[in-house]
Amino acid sequence: MVRAAVPDSKSDTDVLTPRFSVRSRTMDVQALQADALAAVAAASSVEEIDAVRVEYLGRKSALKLALREVRDRETGMALNAARLALEEAVEARAAELARAELDRRLTEERVDVTLPVGTYRRGHLHLITQIRREVEDTFLGLGYRVVDGREVETTRYNFDALNFPPGHPARSPLHSLFLDDERVLRTETSPSQIRAMEAEQPPIYVVSLGRVYRRDTPDATHSPIFHQVEGLAVDEGITLADLTGTLDFLFRSLFGGERRTEFRTHYFPFTEPSIEAYVSCHVCDGDGCPVCRHSGWIEVGGAGMVDPALFEFVGYDPERYSGFAFGWGLERIAMLRHEFPDLRELWRNDLRFTRQF
Amino acid sequence: MRAPFSWLREYVTTSASAHEIARRLSVSALEVDRVIEAGVADVGDNLGRFVVGRVLAADKHPNADKLQLCQVDVGNPDPQQIVCGAWNFGVGATVAVGLPGARLPVLPGPLEERELRGQVSRGMILAEDEVGLGADHAGIMLLPDGIEPGTPLADVLPLHEQVLDVTPTMNRVDLLSMVGLAREVAALAGDELHPPDPEDPPIRRPEIVDVVVDDPVGCPRYIGRVFRDVAVGPSPQWLRSRLHLAGMRSISNVVDITNYVMHTWGSPLHAFDRRLLAGGRIVVRRAHAGETLRTLDGTMRTLLPSDLMITDGERSVALAAIMGGLESEVSEETTEVLLEAANFEPIGILRTSERLALRTDGSNRWEKGVDPHLAEPAAVLASRLLVDLAGAEPVGATDVQARLPERPVITLRPERTSRVVGLDVDADEQRVTLERLGFDVDPGWEVTVPTWRARDVTREIDLVEEVARLVLDRLPHTMPLRRAVAGHLTAAQRSRRLIEDVLVGAGFSEAYTWSLTPTDPHGEAIRLPDPMSGDHAVLRTTLLHGLVDAARVNVDAANEQVALFELARVYFPSGVQLPDERWRVGGIAEGGYEAARAAVEAVHDAFHVPLEPHRAVRSFLHPGKAAAVPSGWLGELHPMLLEGSWGVFELDVDTLVAPVPERILYEDVITYPANRQDIAVVVDDDVEAGALVATALGACGTVLREARVFDVYHGDQVGAGRKSVAVHLVFRSPERTIGDDEANALRERVVAALADRHGAELRAL
Repeated sequence: MVRAAVPDSKSDTDVLTPRFSVRSRTMDVQALQADALAAVAAASSVEEIDAVRVEYLGRKSALKLALREVRDRETGMALNAARLALEEAVEARAAELARAELDRRLTEERVDVTLPVGTYRRGHLHLITQIRREVEDTFLGLGYRVVDGREVETTRYNFDALNFPPGHPARSPLHSLFLDDERVLRTETSPSQIRAMEAEQPPIYVVSLGRVYRRDTPDATHSPIFHQVEGLAVDEGITLADLTGTLDFLFRSLFGGERRTEFRTHYFPFTEPSIEAYVSCHVCDGDGCPVCRHSGWIEVGGAGMVDPALFEFVGYDPERYSGFAFGWGLERIAMLRHEFPDLRELWRNDLRFTRQF
Repeated sequence: MRAPFSWLREYVTTSASAHEIARRLSVSALEVDRVIEAGVADVGDNLGRFVVGRVLAADKHPNADKLQLCQVDVGNPDPQQIVCGAWNFGVGATVAVGLPGARLPVLPGPLEERELRGQVSRGMILAEDEVGLGADHAGIMLLPDGIEPGTPLADVLPLHEQVLDVTPTMNRVDLLSMVGLAREVAALAGDELHPPDPEDPPIRRPEIVDVVVDDPVGCPRYIGRVFRDVAVGPSPQWLRSRLHLAGMRSISNVVDITNYVMHTWGSPLHAFDRRLLAGGRIVVRRAHAGETLRTLDGTMRTLLPSDLMITDGERSVALAAIMGGLESEVSEETTEVLLEAANFEPIGILRTSERLALRTDGSNRWEKGVDPHLAEPAAVLASRLLVDLAGAEPVGATDVQARLPERPVITLRPERTSRVVGLDVDADEQRVTLERLGFDVDPGWEVTVPTWRARDVTREIDLVEEVARLVLDRLPHTMPLRRAVAGHLTAAQRSRRLIEDVLVGAGFSEAYTWSLTPTDPHGEAIRLPDPMSGDHAVLRTTLLHGLVDAARVNVDAANEQVALFELARVYFPSGVQLPDERWRVGGIAEGGYEAARAAVEAVHDAFHVPLEPHRAVRSFLHPGKAAAVPSGWLGELHPMLLEGSWGVFELDVDTLVAPVPERILYEDVITYPANRQDIAVVVDDDVEAGALVATALGACGTVLREARVFDVYHGDQVGAGRKSVAVHLVFRSPERTIGDDEANALRERVVAALADRHGAELRAL
């Protein structure tokens, strides 16, 4: 250590009575060394060892004075050997004492680790955002892109292009929220399919998530505004089995790897064939419980092969391309997965609810 | 739609259990809500404890005026003594008997022999509600005479019944019928279908039936049949039971028959009391403007010229396809019936029924497009039942029809089916499936669609679906090839995620509030012409009000450290058809202006966008604590809007991130260390820190990398109306070290500029 080899100049000014003084020429090196080592060993604090250093190794110490005046080689070697031994001993003791003092200080600094500190707080993403990201990330990993649809749509994109027949209930102002005859708050995320297909040529692999609107009176399982995820894959050779395989993958990622999936026939204007996707109940694993209404299966949402009428609308050749699409509510997934009974909580924004997730 | 299994099995012979059938239907045909176990429990020998009995004696109970004491032959050598509270029968009646030990759905435990007013009662003569076969408790069930006493009751009545509760999709109105369901079951299981095919009762003394259809588009077919000598009365027990299990109420034999046939064939019927029709005529036409009709439910309906009406030529007698009129209703006095088995165009019916908020079993089918060919078998079955159950005499029949639609013919390429489905489905299997479903398939794969699917199946892909739905449970799970794909978020999407994450890190929780609000400050905000309620009438142009409401919810809940943000769209009129939908991020937090400023600074910092707010005026903000930035505003919420000290902000996301470069270029900040200087200047109170910083930066060029106010001091030392502002200056060059001399000179320049522009006096630090 540098500090030991170059003694602090300040300590030289300290007046200490040298125990071995002018008689240095005839001094007893061995006795001096023994004496000094005893002092080193006796030092019990950093201050004391510093004092010892000054006394025995300082500029005015007997050893240093003797060294300055030494004439014969033999005495010089003896004195130097004593100096080195002393320096080493002082250094070792100083390090030992410094460490002991540090240990003592750290021990005294002990805190009550069970005590909370400060005011750091982290916010929480809305549960639907968390699920939205989870779904997005799953599909990003599969090579899909995320597209942002519009919320106010033309009836042409919301109904006509999606092959809704004239009498379909969704076209009625009893079920949908219209701005006028030609504009409607989108009733599903599916218009984004049409916009995606109009924007480019296949292959298309996209998902689109966002708000949709229906004239539903709010209750525990209905809300006039809710969120859907829409998926669309259009390419050469896409099959219904590709759809079920994709959904099987998604549901396992959302509900757990041990889940089973089942697909049942259904009807949607924009897909043909159409299916409804079910996943084995994650609560009872198919045995039947209140969550799955004792059926063992949970309905997640609709899907199907893109109806050729949609391809005609956007100018794709239905003989060359096929595709699948799916869409369902994120609230439903949230409620199923986290088992809360009333989706209105998702809109109340009570932090007691939000902070749970 | 409810389908009792015993009824279904009349039309399809199958060995499959109710639950097997339900399972197959749910995968390949329609949604099965559940299988209802109705009637008495089929456990142990419970069903054996219900038998047919014949009343041998029935006298008033010696000790009770309201009870009868009966001796009933239940097939044993000795008659069974039973005390009964009903009086709608007498000696010789054939009745249903529950023997001791029987478990009834209405009783908690088994039936026991017991003494009633001193007389032993060994069993119970049953009313229909006691065994789940009806709702009536006015009297006991009377069974047809001639059934041997002791016959198991289950042989005579659907004593234990499994009922399918199903919801067909809207394209499958053919499945809103017992025959349609039976056909589907037959196709799925390869079983044999035999729909009802009764003899049409002959007309012996024909009369003219006067039916005129003025609107053949609205009413492409009208079969009218007239019956005389109709005896209106209660329906027999089997019919009452079936209707009950199918979810319908028994009214009278004539009305029950129309409902029964509707349920059987899926084509609704109506029965008029013919003597209440002027001249016994039927004229189908659109309503006159302002015309009214009192419907069967007693409500007076005001009609529009678009509503299709059944009239007698003088006045309306029914709202076509939806509900009959009260005045022409069949009643106990009715002796002549005009039976309507018609067909109606769906869209008009849907419009009328929606407008009047009047939905019936009938309109529910018509609005989906019923096969016009079903009117005939429905008329035949109803005629048969009117003759058999109401003693009616058929005296006339007419069938007015426009040209009925042709059956579509479609070419199917079986290999296309396999290609769409992703499973090799054998061509023969496809042919057999389609044929079982009623399609005719010729050797060249020209497929003729059955009439009941003619609306729904019109293209090759529709045929593919017919095959696909029957192989759904065999599909492999594969993944698309996904050649040439690259999954990534757009820069805008990444920006939105970053904003969310930064605010979450800053302690804000995300709120979702409604896009529809009661009012909006924007004068041209888009209003819904017909909102659900006044609270949800306008498409918002700001997130503020939703966030204030959300904050209030949390204040009311006494939640602590309330800080909320929302990242969502607002909607501006754009001058073109669709509004400008813009992403906004807004926030509200306890802690007043500083909370807003900290959050907005965090968001700007995340994008390396300098935050340079300037004083602004917003009516919803504290007048002294309101600022604007290029992308929006921040400030302290005006306390009139929410009590307390709330920081609020709202930024337009696109505007916020617009200055963000596509990539950030490296700058050498390492090689030459910065020279840092602090100054403090005294200025008038109304000089803003931002102005001082701007002047400082302007005075030195790019060598002054940063000028940051780190302290503002008011007090005696600087005098009233003055303040001391301490500024930290960082001088740095990427090319050389800025030495103290140069830094001092630059610093002097800053001080001079501040003095010149703002009257600033240097104060010793």
